Amino acid sequence: MDLSLSEEQQQITDSAATFLAEAAAMPAVRAASESAEGLDRALWRAMAELGWCGVHLPESAGGLGLGLVELVLLQEQLGRRLACVPFFDSVALAATALRGLPDSPLAQDWLERLAAGQAIGALTLPAEHGGAACADGLPSAVAAPEGGWTLQGGWPQVGSAAMADVLLLPAQAASGETLLLAVPADAPGLRVRPLATLDATRRMAAVRADGVNLPAASCIGRGPSLDALFTQVRQLGAIALAGEQVGVAQQCLDLTLTYAAQRSQFDRPIAGFQAVKHRCAQMLVALESARSAVYGAACIADTAPDAATLLFHAAQARVAATEAAQFCAREAIQLHGGVGFTWEFDPHLYFRRAQASSQRLGASPWWLEQVAAQWLDTPEENP
Amino acid sequence: MNLQETGAERAFRAEVRTWMAAHLRGDFESLRHASGLGSPGYEPALAKRWEQQLAAGGWTGLGWPRQHGGRELPLAQQVIFHEEYVRCGGPGRLGHIGETLLAPTLMAHGTPALQARFLPGILAGQTYWAQGYSEPGAGSDLAAVRTRARIDPDTGEWVIDGQKVWTSWAHESDWIFVLARSEPGSVRHKGLVLLLVPLRQSGVTLRPIRQITGDAEFNEVFFDGARTEGALHLGAPGQGWAVAMYLLGCERGASTLGQQAHFRAELEQVVAVAKRNGAARDPLLRQRIAHAALGLQTLRSHALRTSGDNAPARAASIGKYLWSNWRRALGELAVDVLGAEGDIAGEDPLRQALQRLWLVSRADTIYAGSNEIQLNLMAERALQMPR
Repeated sequence: MDLSLSEEQQQITDSAATFLAEAAAMPAVRAASESAEGLDRALWRAMAELGWCGVHLPESAGGLGLGLVELVLLQEQLGRRLACVPFFDSVALAATALRGLPDSPLAQDWLERLAAGQAIGALTLPAEHGGAACADGLPSAVAAPEGGWTLQGGWPQVGSAAMADVLLLPAQAASGETLLLAVPADAPGLRVRPLATLDATRRMAAVRADGVNLPAASCIGRGPSLDALFTQVRQLGAIALAGEQVGVAQQCLDLTLTYAAQRSQFDRPIAGFQAVKHRCAQMLVALESARSAVYGAACIADTAPDAATLLFHAAQARVAATEAAQFCAREAIQLHGGVGFTWEFDPHLYFRRAQASSQRLGASPWWLEQVAAQWLDTPEENP
Repeated sequence: MNLQETGAERAFRAEVRTWMAAHLRGDFESLRHASGLGSPGYEPALAKRWEQQLAAGGWTGLGWPRQHGGRELPLAQQVIFHEEYVRCGGPGRLGHIGETLLAPTLMAHGTPALQARFLPGILAGQTYWAQGYSEPGAGSDLAAVRTRARIDPDTGEWVIDGQKVWTSWAHESDWIFVLARSEPGSVRHKGLVLLLVPLRQSGVTLRPIRQITGDAEFNEVFFDGARTEGALHLGAPGQGWAVAMYLLGCERGASTLGQQAHFRAELEQVVAVAKRNGAARDPLLRQRIAHAALGLQTLRSHALRTSGDNAPARAASIGKYLWSNWRRALGELAVDVLGAEGDIAGEDPLRQALQRLWLVSRADTIYAGSNEIQLNLMAERALQMPR
């Protein structure tokens, strides 16, 4: 029993940190976040060449064959830099879903392209699995008489959809069954409208299908097994997202320490004031405990645990990392003082990301309620 | 990273369980689930006999090196022992100040003669130790100690005068380690000595302190010409501060993993009451209970991530801050789950346990380095912020 990083895991962390310090330095991040597309293509290509897009995917799909722990370590470094790449949406969510659909040749085809970083995927989950709720319920997929599907409806908020090559969209068949459809971004009748996001470093788009006709093979998953897959993708995705949130918290602390050391008031650096020191130490506590929670959860997830165990640990990672990212981002603004309120200084970018991330795949109250049900809604036992 | 239990670890778990089932019975039945001194059924003489029973079974000194009579078990097995011990209803340990604080310090800073004299008694559950650090004027500012120690030129013995306070279980202990000023006129961290002093002598007076729970686990200890042999100092006279700090490092360090098994039992008590009285249906209490359950798992993950850390000062302060604040919040949750019933002193053992947890846990963020001291340590040592 040991949750410290192995030598290889430490190497992944260190080399990713070094690479991103240069490749995703803040001027590049700001430039990408202010661009129309919101994507740093050069960085994305470089990451693909490093094999990152297939980090946790099987070697048979062109991946590196590593685990969720390694995915989390990359996510952490990407979160530190707010790198403007669709890593979370395409690799942690879409590719993880495709990996769980071995019976669909189309899914496996897209998986290989996603693993290689040659294509970008975007996945949205049904509302009951943590996706953004569709105003009129899940869009419909009507079976065409000659085979194939006609897709009708809208998905209001899909991460990285405007830069995606393939959209993985849940829809409801006339039978009431939920389907997952792989829809090419250029399918006629599909409209992907970029949304202006408060966190401009991770884009969202509204997706609308008006009579999009798809071949039968576009349905890559359905029924109860799809439901189980959605559950699993949400939980693994939550742990991956939590890794990113740890990176956000880390950078907020680092920015604050640097600022507090150089900012002088009353003829001394403010880092010497106990009021500042204690806040930084509390950031450290939140950060390090969240890191422990996330590494622990990822390590458990890699042992193929039962559903209840995975749910508990996903909640553990998610709740701790959300708290850490939000606390550290708030404190970073406060401890930067007046400049923390400016556009020019970076804390607000992390503050925005911390909030946006806290709402994806279900916010903390949802995760807490799942754990409450595990602990409290079991039959009465005699103490 | 690896969280899978090996076959050997599973077998060890079963071994602990079997032994506990065979031994925590008969005379020892009343100790089952008793958390420690002050809790119902915890009779000190019986608790000492239980410690001796544990020792005879080979369940003391699990992490100690073999050369000192320990079993040199890896951390994972030590954790398993603590988990199973609590799960089987094992009572609070009376010997932990000797076993987990003094003994490692003796091994690191004591002469072979001192080790040979004191370690076997600790290991066998025969000798009990108290800690003489804090004084009325030296709490968080431990370096302000004023207790004096001098050598009597006629006998070569140390003679001690002064007062210690917050001394846990002094009334049930045989010996006390005392941080005292051995160089007259010295200030702060210099000129200190760490002495090993027998408690049962005419120069030592104990006065119990009635604490927030109404019990008296703590004492004031008055030294008025108390004596100990000239050789009974740990480290060189004048260098006591470094030794005292080493000992505090043991306190903030490895012992937390074992505690977590107790914490889980306490959380389960809160859950049991919540199910019984309907608090389990309150949406906000549900969230807080879930938060506590997740937090406990995070304490465990944190300990497993940092127990082999090469930056122990950083890890230890974070760990202490985490567990103490977690448990204090659990105490608050416990009485909120009790609701109005929480104000009624009663015979119901579960209610009593939660009320006691609420009060006892207020000490967690104060002793062994208060929250404020831990934050200072983290800021200055881990984050290198200026003093």
